[in-house]
Amino acid sequence: MANPTSDTAGRLRRRLPRPTAESQPFWDGCARHELLLQRCLPHGHFWFPPANICQRCWSTEYAWTPVCGLAELFTFTVYRRAYAAELADQLPYVVGIVELVEGPRLISNIVGCAPEQVRIGMKLEVVFEDLDDAVTLHAFQPHADRA
Amino acid sequence: MYQRTAAIVGAAHSRLGEIPGATALGLMAEAAVGAIADAGLTSADIDGLIVRGPDDEYCFQQQLGERLGLDVAWATSLDNGGASQPLAVLLAALAIEAGLATTVLCGYARDAWSRTRQPASRKARLNQATHHRLREWRDSFGYFGEPATHALGAQRHMSLFGTTREHLGHVAVTQREHAARNPHAQMRAPLTMAEYLDARLVAEPFGVYDCSLRTDAGAAVVVTAAQRARDLPHTPVIVRGFGSHNNLSGWTVGDHMVETAAKRSGERAYRMADVTPADIDTAQLYDCFTYMVLAQIEDYGFCPKGEGGEFIASGALRLDGAIPTNTSGGQLSEGHVEGMLQIVEGVRQLRHEYPPDRQVPDARLALVSGHGGNTVCHTTLILERG
Repeated sequence: MANPTSDTAGRLRRRLPRPTAESQPFWDGCARHELLLQRCLPHGHFWFPPANICQRCWSTEYAWTPVCGLAELFTFTVYRRAYAAELADQLPYVVGIVELVEGPRLISNIVGCAPEQVRIGMKLEVVFEDLDDAVTLHAFQPHADRA
Repeated sequence: MYQRTAAIVGAAHSRLGEIPGATALGLMAEAAVGAIADAGLTSADIDGLIVRGPDDEYCFQQQLGERLGLDVAWATSLDNGGASQPLAVLLAALAIEAGLATTVLCGYARDAWSRTRQPASRKARLNQATHHRLREWRDSFGYFGEPATHALGAQRHMSLFGTTREHLGHVAVTQREHAARNPHAQMRAPLTMAEYLDARLVAEPFGVYDCSLRTDAGAAVVVTAAQRARDLPHTPVIVRGFGSHNNLSGWTVGDHMVETAAKRSGERAYRMADVTPADIDTAQLYDCFTYMVLAQIEDYGFCPKGEGGEFIASGALRLDGAIPTNTSGGQLSEGHVEGMLQIVEGVRQLRHEYPPDRQVPDARLALVSGHGGNTVCHTTLILERG
């Protein structure tokens, strides 16, 4: 991992993803505030994390496709201990497994509400956090209209 | 089909706990020598070796063979994380039945505590050795450490079934009661429910007492043909059945974090051994975290899915409970040796080695589990007093 960094307000200090050839389009999408997943051409299956083959039909024909960004919280944990020094001032923070309406689940942060208010099954929408050096991470916040 | 022809005839662990200057290989040698002596055998009898060390050790079986001066017919290391250790016994039984080897040493060792005393640069390098592919999707979101992975499962179980922290606490408290009677255990001081509930939270719903220990130790068993076992000093422990299952598609996929790979691994083992959960006298379950004990108690059919919390709170895991579990204190209190100590404890219970305050009365069948590899690989052994 690259060195931790912070945003302009100095609030977030994260380890940056180190994209691979397979994952670069995903992170490029985040930088444009677009959540992109691979989708196979024969059947329209989505998958995550990025891979060179559809997990379900093994097709290698796919397109990077924007998804709607709506999700439901599958499960979560609230960090009360800093496993990395640069995260100490972020505590407590929430790591969740979010299930996108298109199906795949991904690891993200749950933001925009207190950890005590986070509930499995809550409706979420994607937001993007631009970090200093042009890296953007996704996060999910409660979706007001669907709560 | 496997014909129940293999038996465990020797079992030992090395010094155990926080051992300054310990190396995994040194502890592995200590345990191996102990297990071979316990079996009443010598190095000349060993013609098979399946041992594993920390994930960044290359060809650990070769390193151990070099240290002990062993040339053997059949040797390997395994890469199924915490499921590897019972898998070693499973493979040893098959190798013996197939005639690849007659007497196989199975073991695991680690220097998990001593590593925390290493200079920072070496620690960083060791950390990078594992799970590098996962890091892109985890580290950026502050997802560090194994507790979180299992906490995600515990949280979901709580949401689906009303399981509580107190339910998990009964796992920690009961296993500490077992450890208090085990002179080798790393943590023997009594643990009360109040102390458990007041403990510093790590990754909710886990506090420090939900997590297993950092341990320096090795452990080993010797497996040979059941027929040969009759001439050896201890009551043989027959490998009656086994199974495995691997949810390789992932921990976050489907319902794998609530109904774990233990379910199907157990079904296969019960079928092969021709027994039911009601026949099992003691369970030695892979307990990297309290929740994994609860999940496996359900997955192995000792109680219905979703009822593990109340079942455990009723005292089921105690020595006089419905299914005495992790009777040495387990990885939460005796020491975390990636499931190898679970096998050793299963053997000792079936030999009726212990004084009454530690012995499961008249134990004839033990179920031993291993779980790991980013929490998707699982192996089950069903052992029988010979």
